[in-house]
Amino acid sequence: MSKIYGSDENKVKALDNISFSIEKGEFVLIVGSSGSGKSTLLNMIGLLDRPTNGKVFIDGTDTTNLTDDKISSFRNKKLGFIFQFSNLLTDLTVLENVLLPREIAKTNDSAEKNARELLTAVGLDDQINKRANKISGGQAQRVAIARGLINNPSIVLADEPTGNLDSVTSEKIIQLMKSMAKKLNQTFIVVTHDRQHFGDVDRVITIKDGKAFEGNLPSEMGVLA
Amino acid sequence: MEYRLRLAKRMLFNKKGSLIGAVLAVTIGILVIHVNFVIFQGLFDAIVRDISNYRNGDVLITDEEDYIDKSDQALVNWFERIPYVEAATPRLSSTASINMTKFGTLHEETRIPIVGVDPLRDIRASTVHETVSDGQYVFSRNSIVLGSNVARDLGGAQVGDSLKVKIVDRYGQDQIKRLVVTGIAKSPGGQGFDYSVVVHIDTLRDLMNRDGDTGSIMVKLNDPSKASDVKNFFLAAFPNDDFLAETIEESAEEQLAGFRSGIAMINMIGYFGMMSSAFAIVTIQMMLVNGKTREIGVMRSIGATRKDILIIFIFQGMIIGAIGAGVGTAAGLGYTFYAKETKMSFNNSLPLEVSYNWEKIIQTAVLSFILAIIASLYPSYRATKLLPVEAMRTV
Repeated sequence: MSKIYGSDENKVKALDNISFSIEKGEFVLIVGSSGSGKSTLLNMIGLLDRPTNGKVFIDGTDTTNLTDDKISSFRNKKLGFIFQFSNLLTDLTVLENVLLPREIAKTNDSAEKNARELLTAVGLDDQINKRANKISGGQAQRVAIARGLINNPSIVLADEPTGNLDSVTSEKIIQLMKSMAKKLNQTFIVVTHDRQHFGDVDRVITIKDGKAFEGNLPSEMGVLA
Repeated sequence: MEYRLRLAKRMLFNKKGSLIGAVLAVTIGILVIHVNFVIFQGLFDAIVRDISNYRNGDVLITDEEDYIDKSDQALVNWFERIPYVEAATPRLSSTASINMTKFGTLHEETRIPIVGVDPLRDIRASTVHETVSDGQYVFSRNSIVLGSNVARDLGGAQVGDSLKVKIVDRYGQDQIKRLVVTGIAKSPGGQGFDYSVVVHIDTLRDLMNRDGDTGSIMVKLNDPSKASDVKNFFLAAFPNDDFLAETIEESAEEQLAGFRSGIAMINMIGYFGMMSSAFAIVTIQMMLVNGKTREIGVMRSIGATRKDILIIFIFQGMIIGAIGAGVGTAAGLGYTFYAKETKMSFNNSLPLEVSYNWEKIIQTAVLSFILAIIASLYPSYRATKLLPVEAMRTV
């Protein structure tokens, strides 16, 4: 797929004929320098934006021609999001934030039980009734991970999930994501410019000038990044 | 609680300034209508009340062309047999010239309205006697009660003074009679007989040479809502007598028509006020939407549809409308209660006739609630137009 912003002389090719597929349960890193197009790529996979050319298939479904409502439903059921700034709703408590995707999906069966289990898994069972703006950045990111997993999505998309955290907290969040991926056999696609912290992962895709390069060796990828 | 309602409530209650501003806008809109209603409808009803109490009763019987020549006694008795009727009394009216010498100076006033009453019946059917602030009401054939303004114009007539009343009778002859002032009448707002004089009806009949004639029968009901029934009953009972029977609304129509238009205009201004409060809600909700751009982006990214976002902000409009309608109605009722209990009047004018018009109160509250929802539609629509990827960039 390709993504082009602007037109004529102001045309910018953010993504240039990128094509790849990711298998279930893979932990994939998308790396690249700032402005390389990695967040744009994540937005396309996350159906937050549409490619100029090409198609995105998720679980075998061509998402190109889905209506806005269907895309919303798709995002809700098939995708989980973890953002750089956690992006919790500060008007809600920790538990309510985790429950929100389930409530949007209107599948409330054992929702609270699942949310509590996830919050226990991310080590926040004692914070569930706190307002989301009353917890630390690291805790907020853990809540975001729990929220991203609550609907048991096909893919969890993380955009610079440690970009706003100190190194110790970053390490904990990375380990948490990796352990959750392994435990739940969950596909993770993580955009980061901080390749080294992630250590061994299943795959690394490097984006450079809008083009994608695949590589399996962490050391090589470190050099590319 | 439904998550959209919970989110709407939290977002609103966590922005207390916006919430208070929006609620105040609705409250003020409602309060303006309540205050308008209390003052202007209260004034209108007070005028109707005074016209009814002093002059026309709840039903006024006159002759279509001339004077009623049927026995007033018979008519009054007929009316007083109807259970809805509290009392009935005959009246006769004309104009008179009055002169009086006070401290050696002759004072003469012409074209003074003069009303003849049956003292015993009148005090049951009318409250004019209650406006006598000095002395007492007409009690004999040679007594006269002066309106306070007439007394003033006659050089400060007082109870006990003697004066001459001149009337042109039915044959064009001047008829003069000396009467003694027994009382001075003064009513709040001058709605009573402040510009008239009151004499015994038989005295006026003598002066007018209209023995046995009556100008009108004033009928006071114990249930004013039955006025039309009594009127129709009367007209059916006397089909061949050229009687004209009118309810207070009909008999006072000429005096009230202009006022009624004024009230309609004032109400219109009140509703415009309410609409301007709707614009305030639009502005405040637009600010709320702008302040929640990131949250809208987050919700959209985790699966909320445009409809979900629309509903959240419409819920906010409903919350603002519900609280505003509640507070505004409570404030309006508080003002109405105060006006009623204190018998509110302005500059010693007639006291307002304050009533709780529940139909209007509920109508105003429901209307403001609906307006708040309508006002929230545009900001809600704008919220749905935010693209998640764009909204997410607002951090």
